[in-house]
Amino acid sequence: MSLIPDDLKYTKDHEWVRMETDLIACCGITDHAQEMLTDIVFVELPEINAEVKSGEQIAVVESVKAVSDVFSPVSGRILEINKTLEDSPELVNTSPYGEGWICKIEIKNPREMNDLMDASAYNSHVEAGD
Amino acid sequence: MKKTALYQEHVRLGGNMVEFAGWQLPVMYSSIVEEHNATRGKAGLFDVSHMGEISVSGKRSAEYLSRLIPTRLDKLEKQKSMYSVFCNETGGIIDDLFIYMAGENDFFLVVNAATLEKDLNWMREHLIDGVDLSDRSSDLTKIDLQGPRSKDILGKIMSIDSLSNLRRFYFGTFKYRGKDVMISQSGYTGEFGFEIYIGNELAPNIWNDILDSGKEFGILPVGLGARDTLRLESCYSLYGHELNDNISPIEAGIGWIVSSSADYIAKNVLVKQKAGGAPRTNIVFKMKDRGVPRDGYRVLKNGEEIGYVTSGGFSPTLKIGIGMALVKSGTVKTGDEFDVLIRDKSVRATAVERPIYKYNDIK
Repeated sequence: MSLIPDDLKYTKDHEWVRMETDLIACCGITDHAQEMLTDIVFVELPEINAEVKSGEQIAVVESVKAVSDVFSPVSGRILEINKTLEDSPELVNTSPYGEGWICKIEIKNPREMNDLMDASAYNSHVEAGD
Repeated sequence: MKKTALYQEHVRLGGNMVEFAGWQLPVMYSSIVEEHNATRGKAGLFDVSHMGEISVSGKRSAEYLSRLIPTRLDKLEKQKSMYSVFCNETGGIIDDLFIYMAGENDFFLVVNAATLEKDLNWMREHLIDGVDLSDRSSDLTKIDLQGPRSKDILGKIMSIDSLSNLRRFYFGTFKYRGKDVMISQSGYTGEFGFEIYIGNELAPNIWNDILDSGKEFGILPVGLGARDTLRLESCYSLYGHELNDNISPIEAGIGWIVSSSADYIAKNVLVKQKAGGAPRTNIVFKMKDRGVPRDGYRVLKNGEEIGYVTSGGFSPTLKIGIGMALVKSGTVKTGDEFDVLIRDKSVRATAVERPIYKYNDIK
């Protein structure tokens, strides 16, 4: 059973979002996603200041076996990236909602947050096997 | 889809089952890295029953096999095995295989699962009087026990003396629960270990006996994922990657198997390539910069495309990306740097000597 914190928002592609201020969203991949991938060995981070649209590929997470895209949960500008993951990609496995965060995005349209799932909706999504 | 005799054991052990060459097999149980490290440091147990097994018998068996392989068969002796390939007329590899010599007129071939039918067709096409072929693939379970503690573990359920006498690439017949089991000291991981051939009916017994005996030594069941990372570090070829119908053994970097003086198929091409070189060559590399090379990624030298990655991945032992690549001959020598194109970005790699991980014999 994977961890799904109540205070976060989720995408169907297994990214999470934590609002740090009204306009700054911290993003990563969910506990369920890291469990499916296992053994993450490489994270390709987005470029700082890049303009991204929601649903657009912003990062790549590679496990021993597979290459997976990470999609932006919201539209906006990349403010900060988690450089620590370059040397310690395994943090995505050990702390997917904490030290394993991927990037912070300055949100363009806060209403986009309404399109994301809350914890209970995401839980159903995971249980449905998607 | 076919299931091995150990299917239920894999499910019970929490194996993540995937389709491979028409078989349901575990890609991993818990973690590829943990299973990889267990095999390197302790022991790993693999179900590789998908592999094909073909018996070749009859008084002209040696003559027959000598026509099919480029390797000296007279170097083989009873109770010994060797690596070779079948080549087509142009020198491309039909399959790579192990040949076990059970007797003067009795050979046992271990081939790849995906190529079993192709091999059988090729062998039937070239069959001569006085030779019998028999496909034994569906009756036999193949279990590999690999890693430095393999002998300690198998010694608890078999006669340790006879196991100790088994030298590398030699095999013997052992008794297990009253039945004959064929065991060779060999493997596909770069570690000391055994390959075990047993009838399907006793497969779950020996599998579980080995796991129980191995518990105190830290054994883990290992899936196809770690089987691949282990063989990649050891730079062992995998059919469909380093080897295929359009790649010769010289190009694949296994030219040492071209040694026969018999009149074998594609002899002219292979002898010429061995002496004068081939258009392409397989090189081994480590990533210098961060990145994981994957199969099919393009390889560039000074901006010019020179080949592609035949197998690539992350090395759990070195904790960097490593791989093998088929490139134009003469473009890269050991120590040279070149680029692997990862998602349209050039990432630096260094050509190194083969193998990346040296065979780890036990004292």
